[in-house]
Amino acid sequence: MARKSILQIVGIVLGLCVLTACSLISPEASFAATHPQELGAGRPICSECHSNDVAKGALKPYASFDHTPTFVKDHRFQANQDANTCASCHAQSFCADCHGGKVPMKPATRLSDRPDRATPHRGDFMTQHRIEGKMDPSSCYACHGRANNEKCAACHR
Amino acid sequence: MKPRTQVVLLATLMTATAWGQEVSLYGTTMAQMWKQETPGFDKNTFTPATQYLGIDATKLGTDNLSLHLFGWGRTDLSDVSNFDGSKSGGYLNYGYLQYRFDQANAEIKAGRFTANQATGFEQVDGVSVRTDLRGGFSISAFGGKPVYYKTVDPRNQADYEFQRDFIMGTRLAWRMPKVGEIGLSYVQDGTKAAKDLDIPSPVDYTRKMLGADFHLAPASAFDLRGRTVFNVANERTNTAEHDYTATVKLGDQVTMTGNYAMRNFNYYFAGTNLPSLFRQDENDKFRGFGGSITWNASTVVQLVGDYRHMHRETFGDVNRAGGEVRWTASDKSFLGGVSGHWVNAANTRFVDPATPYRSLSHKEARVWAMATQGKLIASLDAILQRYDSENPYLVGVRNVYEVVGSLGYQATTNVKVSGDISYGSTPVARHETRGLLRAEYRFGFAKKGGR
Repeated sequence: MARKSILQIVGIVLGLCVLTACSLISPEASFAATHPQELGAGRPICSECHSNDVAKGALKPYASFDHTPTFVKDHRFQANQDANTCASCHAQSFCADCHGGKVPMKPATRLSDRPDRATPHRGDFMTQHRIEGKMDPSSCYACHGRANNEKCAACHR
Repeated sequence: MKPRTQVVLLATLMTATAWGQEVSLYGTTMAQMWKQETPGFDKNTFTPATQYLGIDATKLGTDNLSLHLFGWGRTDLSDVSNFDGSKSGGYLNYGYLQYRFDQANAEIKAGRFTANQATGFEQVDGVSVRTDLRGGFSISAFGGKPVYYKTVDPRNQADYEFQRDFIMGTRLAWRMPKVGEIGLSYVQDGTKAAKDLDIPSPVDYTRKMLGADFHLAPASAFDLRGRTVFNVANERTNTAEHDYTATVKLGDQVTMTGNYAMRNFNYYFAGTNLPSLFRQDENDKFRGFGGSITWNASTVVQLVGDYRHMHRETFGDVNRAGGEVRWTASDKSFLGGVSGHWVNAANTRFVDPATPYRSLSHKEARVWAMATQGKLIASLDAILQRYDSENPYLVGVRNVYEVVGSLGYQATTNVKVSGDISYGSTPVARHETRGLLRAEYRFGFAKKGGR
């Protein structure tokens, strides 16, 4: 009998929690799943068309998403906070070009016909990585520390 | 994930695509060839063939449900090119069902996906959820089995899988329109520590990180963002990382940025599966600061100047400076760039007297161009690195270079074939020529993708 009462109380509490949680959800409509216009080649400057307003969902100026050289280099910040905004133009496979986790070749080889893209590891990176690794191994770690490092392990045992 | 589980997951996801009202399939088939002749070793001819394949299926019974798959397979048609000696391989990068709600930017993902909420970039076989809340708040969470790569010593594999039994993370954020966003996040990889093993191991793969991130963007002309990450696995909370970037725009033409980063290796590399490479036991620290100036000199010319100072407690100081000029024709039919960088590592310390001095100083130059004429696309990319000749890393080679030429034919909007020839010289392979054939195709309805 006591056990049944406890289960009833737990059920009521859980139900109230779900109702409270639902009432907390924003009533706003979701950000567009797909950009309404197909964008051309090259790095887009969002603020050229979207001036003086903030991106719905992200609630930040569109200029924050302008694809400047700094944006391309430090896009992790935007990807962490506003993946929905990225997804309106880029499919997940765009991220996987470089952040594949486990990949069969370096991104610069896969995209060797696209020198305009800032793919990592251009040229002879086998030599270069010894230099870069000494200067700042933390830059390697984001992808290779807990990800695709079978090739690293061949030498670094 | 066990092969049997992978087959079941893949079969389930592939079956689900049949329900999609809008299915797009995209892929790249690549064949490479090069010969290698290294003194003291046999001559080798490598011809690896690689297939990338992705599927996006939307409107699976309802407008909000979709499926996303991407993976690759490869095989060597002649000598083995892979470091582990295997002739073939494959991998599912991601494969998940996604339900996207019409309200509150809410979504649910289930399957294999990437979680990149503030403190980590993790591949997970599990479930993730997110939603916006009233008052500008948003919340997200994920949990599941961390994806293994079997990259540790086989003797430690069982310990690795024992410790990395479950991964979970969450982020709570608050946004204010035209002001910015602050977020607090937590990720825990593994619920069992090395001390819980039958035979306790000194190598601990578990990880507990707490992160705080913020973005201040009160106007289009100013943007400040960054994060601080703490390692909370120990009794004391320790700072693992600071990384902050400020951007200031002066009119439409000039953008200036400044960045400061600090990483404490002992805490930043906690839980690494390559402790021999990422030496968290050295108590080393990295500090770096720098900046860049971008000047859009005209609608077609962009100039970028950059500088970065890096300091590592064990190795000393390094300065990197350089610039780039980019040209983009107004109709995008021609894109090109020239860049040069100079790395001065004269102040790095000579750590081990038993090994020869290894200079890190070098210069790098790059020139690239890409032109489109009708259905033909041609590109050229040349990069040269010039090192000190005494560097034992380079076995007498001072100039390391690579030139890649590519010619492609865009047969239709969705089909492109291209071929590359590359020529280069490195300390490992001198005067090496490589060939690559590539076919890219896309069928279906998708308007976005890996472009």
